[in-house]
Amino acid sequence: MKKSFVWYGIFFVIAIIYPHFVDPSWVDIGTTFALYSVVALSQDIVLGKAGMFDMGHATFFGIGAYTAAILNTTYNIPIMYTIPIAIALSALFGIIISWPIIHLRGDYLLVATIGFNIIFYQALQNNVFGLTGGPNGIFGIGTPMIFGINIASQKAIYYFAWLILLVTMLIIYNIDKSKLGRAFHYLRESEIAAESFGVNKRFYKVLAFALGAGLASLAGVIFAVQYAAVSPETFNFTQSVLFFTIVIVGGPSSIPGILLGTFVMFVVPQFFREFATARYFVFGIAMILTMILRPQGIWPVKFGKLPKYIFRKS
Amino acid sequence: MEIFLQQIVNGLAIGSIYALVAIGYTMVYGVMKLINFAHGDLVALAAYIGLTVLMQAFGMHITNLWAIILMFVVSALFISLFGVLLERLAYRPLRRAPRLSAVVSALGASLAIENGIMLIWGPNIKVFPSNVFPSASWHISGVVINSTQIAILLLSVILMLALYIFINKTKIGAAIRASAIDQDAAKLMGINVNGIIIAIFALGSFLGSIGGLFIGIYYRELYFQMGWIYGLNAFIAAIIGGIGNIPGAMLGGMLLGIFNVLIAGYVSNGWSEALTFVLLIIILIIKPTGILGERVAEKV
Repeated sequence: MKKSFVWYGIFFVIAIIYPHFVDPSWVDIGTTFALYSVVALSQDIVLGKAGMFDMGHATFFGIGAYTAAILNTTYNIPIMYTIPIAIALSALFGIIISWPIIHLRGDYLLVATIGFNIIFYQALQNNVFGLTGGPNGIFGIGTPMIFGINIASQKAIYYFAWLILLVTMLIIYNIDKSKLGRAFHYLRESEIAAESFGVNKRFYKVLAFALGAGLASLAGVIFAVQYAAVSPETFNFTQSVLFFTIVIVGGPSSIPGILLGTFVMFVVPQFFREFATARYFVFGIAMILTMILRPQGIWPVKFGKLPKYIFRKS
Repeated sequence: MEIFLQQIVNGLAIGSIYALVAIGYTMVYGVMKLINFAHGDLVALAAYIGLTVLMQAFGMHITNLWAIILMFVVSALFISLFGVLLERLAYRPLRRAPRLSAVVSALGASLAIENGIMLIWGPNIKVFPSNVFPSASWHISGVVINSTQIAILLLSVILMLALYIFINKTKIGAAIRASAIDQDAAKLMGINVNGIIIAIFALGSFLGSIGGLFIGIYYRELYFQMGWIYGLNAFIAAIIGGIGNIPGAMLGGMLLGIFNVLIAGYVSNGWSEALTFVLLIIILIIKPTGILGERVAEKV
């Protein structure tokens, strides 16, 4: 593990000096990269670690952003106070949504999660309860204050987003090392074996959803701050497809894989902005090729090496 | 009451289109356990090709009937081939890979086809001519049925009956059913499973292309992202009927068509997709295997 810590250190050092060498639009891309990585890592708790097919994760991302936006603009609650509310609300939604459908077979779960995403999107579009501002969304979202420092400048928001990413990575790392992570892993490998060892299937699956939803919601709050506005398009299910693809292309339950996946699926297309028309055509073909060449993901996870004596000829 | 009956008639026309598209999803899922996300985009592609063929045929002053026949034949042939090609290039290399990797490959194929359509035909809405079928309509006790609806219903029913007979009465059909139940056992019985999968993609794409042409004729507006919406609806129809179950796909398509029309008529268009999914989730909670149930092992 020591070696990987060095690499992560280098990764974050590059992230710290990066905004001083690029123009503002690329600082924005760096901020969004950090936030999307957080969402992808949170999706991975559900998809990679617990092995549940979730293609509606933008819902939770959106719940976070909209909670912050509504509380901040309508009720004048400071952004920092909206964070715990957004996380709690989103986790609650994760529990309510997943509870009745958790026992469904993989593909049904996938379609049901797409369904929840589309229900969420149309609710936003139709200005549900007069809160969401319809197709235009909500403008004029404030900035967070931490210890008297106002996080308002572009660079400040950038560093804040990366701090959130660091915290998320630590959380994921600790989940992997804990009883919780092992429970998820055994559930993914074999539900029957896990249950016979006393892992409560339903509890852990719903917990995975709640954790993933809460983390995605945290990223959503910062996302609302970054653009000072929220609109439904950003949380449509095509966005969920993007997060889903990031995890699978990068490598499920592999932290470096998911960071790489976010880079490949979100940052790389930004280089080809001028080829706007042909870019997604090529991108689709690249997705197929990537999966054929690296079916386990670009940077697959190494988990649980079996001890050597198992393979030794006796 | 008359309005309600009118809605049912419209719903049946739309439903039979859904049913045609849903069969493609359900057959592929039945044998490969894969959601073919690119199927909807093939359906859209069929409509675009059909429009191009039709315009060319009209330009050459071919009679209406022959132009329509030409449109169906060219589009169906091309899309069937394309479906087989898609399986060969995007799915076959991933048959032994994790299932989600195949899903991402399907999503990639969907993205490529969608944007391929945009590159060839442009991002703007294309409009089908209004005079494809003669504009006759019949009044039956206050309910209006036009010739397009009759043609859609008749052709869909004929195609579905033909498919039903093919699946249940022929040797290839038996092989398809066997592969859906247990691929490895089917292989041991000397069934060429690769050939069966090719046949399924060809058949499913063929029916989907007919569905796509009907979408063009009935709705008349084509846009390059339309594959997603119709595809998703058709896939929901397949699940409602019971995935892998061909009569189920037909039933699910009809039900969903009627449901969509009633929602548009009595609630509002802004909520139609959300309510479709609410219906799906309720059905999944009550009966996770769909109305007619998934395919189960049977004596052949």
